[in-house]
Amino acid sequence: MNIEYSFIVIDDNELDCFVIQKVIQHTYKNVSIDTFHNGLGAIEMIRNHSGNDRPPAIIFLDLQMPVMDGPEFIEEFENLPSEIQNNYVIVVLSILSAARYPVDVFRISHHPSVNCVIEKPLIKEKLIKLLVQLKPGD
Amino acid sequence: MKILYVDDEPDNLVGFKASLRLDYQILTAVTIPQAISCLDNHPEIKVVFCDQRMPVKTGVEFFEEIRVSHPLPVRILLTAYTDVEAIIDAINRGNIFRYVKKPWTEADIISAIDEANKFYMANSMLSIKNDELQKAYNELDKFAYSISHDIRGPLSGILGAINVAREIEDVEEMKEMLFLMGKSLNKLDTYILSMHDYYSLQRGELKIKELDFNKIIDDLKPMYTVLSKTNKVAFNVSVEQEEIFRSDDVPVKLILNNLLSNAFKYQDKKNKNKSVDVIVKVQNSLATIYVKDTGIGILGTHIGEIFNLFYRANFQEVGSGFGLYNVKSAILKLNGQIEVTSVLHQGTTFRVTIPSV
Repeated sequence: MNIEYSFIVIDDNELDCFVIQKVIQHTYKNVSIDTFHNGLGAIEMIRNHSGNDRPPAIIFLDLQMPVMDGPEFIEEFENLPSEIQNNYVIVVLSILSAARYPVDVFRISHHPSVNCVIEKPLIKEKLIKLLVQLKPGD
Repeated sequence: MKILYVDDEPDNLVGFKASLRLDYQILTAVTIPQAISCLDNHPEIKVVFCDQRMPVKTGVEFFEEIRVSHPLPVRILLTAYTDVEAIIDAINRGNIFRYVKKPWTEADIISAIDEANKFYMANSMLSIKNDELQKAYNELDKFAYSISHDIRGPLSGILGAINVAREIEDVEEMKEMLFLMGKSLNKLDTYILSMHDYYSLQRGELKIKELDFNKIIDDLKPMYTVLSKTNKVAFNVSVEQEEIFRSDDVPVKLILNNLLSNAFKYQDKKNKNKSVDVIVKVQNSLATIYVKDTGIGILGTHIGEIFNLFYRANFQEVGSGFGLYNVKSAILKLNGQIEVTSVLHQGTTFRVTIPSV
């Protein structure tokens, strides 16, 4: 299956990064995936690639990370011009989902730039469901 | 047991003191200000008797005041008058424990003191238990959070990996994933072992025996010699022990292991002359242990917090936030002390002292 998206994975856990990449690659062919182990590298790339040469990207964002964590990344991201922001969809990958209600996850899920929170691990079914859900809005 | 008796008639004070001085330590005051300064100077006073008829202030007014300023002593009112208004006031405003009618008998007073003492003890136990409970609740909250992150984290990673494994055909790719899965499981395993240490330090009892630091260090050495070679960190050990030292070896080893593994872990990768030094000196029934590294150091603003449960000053390396908390618990258990000095980008030195039992 081909899709109109590229992906950015931001997670400090090597295994999680690896698995997310594989799930994406096994679900969709020929997609570009950039991975970062904290928010800083990702926010710099987003800032520098503001052109329209890239397909819109889905950002899979972990919360607890060194250097720049998920909430800090979201804060930086929301300071970017809206024409850049519109090119990205943030999906938070959390160890506990908002439904289980830890305060920090709940707070994050209500940020305007956060599309949704998905409970880890990311599996193929969750990824397909997410993309179906994103479709009508675009 | 210290008791304060307040009465403006010196004869009463003398009589009270005479009949009770053998069983209790009786302090007396003839005025309210004198009584208050006595309470200030003797915080261990458990029971306060006061006559209702005092010049300037009544006994009830005095109790009303110390109820706020000195809440611990149990308040007992002595009065010759039995009008209902005064009794109601004493109970509602003075929050008194007992009401003893004048003239009193020794039996009345002794029984009042006994009951007051029980009440005092129960109250102070309650406040100690409350503090402990509050601390336990706080730790429980942190645990709940840490369990989700440090236990469910690796597990969800493994579950995701198993799920994706069904679609991986390339053997090299599979091997890479298995390697990462192993790393995750090791992290989980370390976490569970630290949690076990945490629990046994909180609940376990000390098993005192003679300790030979030469042997303890020799046992630890092989593990750190491997780290020293692979990470190119010089590892220097010096032990001076010429006298018998008695303590529990389990917490001692835990302290050494945690400090040493941190010393190797938080090295500055760019530094060419990396080293870890352990110096143990046993002198005058006191063991002094230095663990010194040339690592990244700890920021001054973080140093006060490094011994807190689940606190992590640095996220560059894998860790659970148990290590130094467990070190601190182990040292407290052994009646020892720990000091830390650190210079950012130059290194950290921990100095531990443990008394022989």
